Amino acid sequence: MYYLSISDSPIDVNALYQKLKDPQYGGIVTFIGTVRQWTGNIETRFIDYSAYHPMAERQLEKLAAPIEAKGARVVIAHRTGHLELTDEAVFVGVAAAHRGDAFRWCEYLIDTLKKEVPIWKKETDTDAVRWGD
Amino acid sequence: MQLHVKLFAMLQEQLGDVITVSVQEQPTADQIKQAVADASPNLRQLIGTARLAVNQEFTTSGPLEVGSNDEIALIPPVSGG
Repeated sequence: MYYLSISDSPIDVNALYQKLKDPQYGGIVTFIGTVRQWTGNIETRFIDYSAYHPMAERQLEKLAAPIEAKGARVVIAHRTGHLELTDEAVFVGVAAAHRGDAFRWCEYLIDTLKKEVPIWKKETDTDAVRWGD
Repeated sequence: MQLHVKLFAMLQEQLGDVITVSVQEQPTADQIKQAVADASPNLRQLIGTARLAVNQEFTTSGPLEVGSNDEIALIPPVSGG
């Protein structure tokens, strides 16, 4: 069963990884998004994330359920609140029988999360405050 | 009728948590967005790029069966991840 979380609490990467381990799976792919300092010439100081609860969780369920129906396991955690440089903002993990499916579904999940889940970042850079990408 | 529209991110920062707008019965998502934009013309471009959600589901095109008890939200372009 999938595990989905949107929370102000720091992301515990190892604890989330442990949720993906299971004898039926032979491939685990994880993606972790972290707070980057430089985007071209723009220097980021910190990021604040906010979410529309519980629509954001419901959207995550819509992403995870079809993947789980194919026999994989999905673990997604997104951080909200105040994040400093290098903090983990998002964890997406897929465990599948074989690596091909795990790679493909992990990429699909993070790509779709970025388009369909109502979470927003407010980026405080050295020159300005920016909403979104 | 009057609808209370939840706002998020930059829209929330500029206009508050909720904006109340008047629309005709069975409005389309575009008509609701138009009503919000008319109340805040300087944010028209951002409101134009936002999506509408009713009861925490993104809407599709066409008239919406909504009333004052429905949870309506304007979702500016998301930027998680």
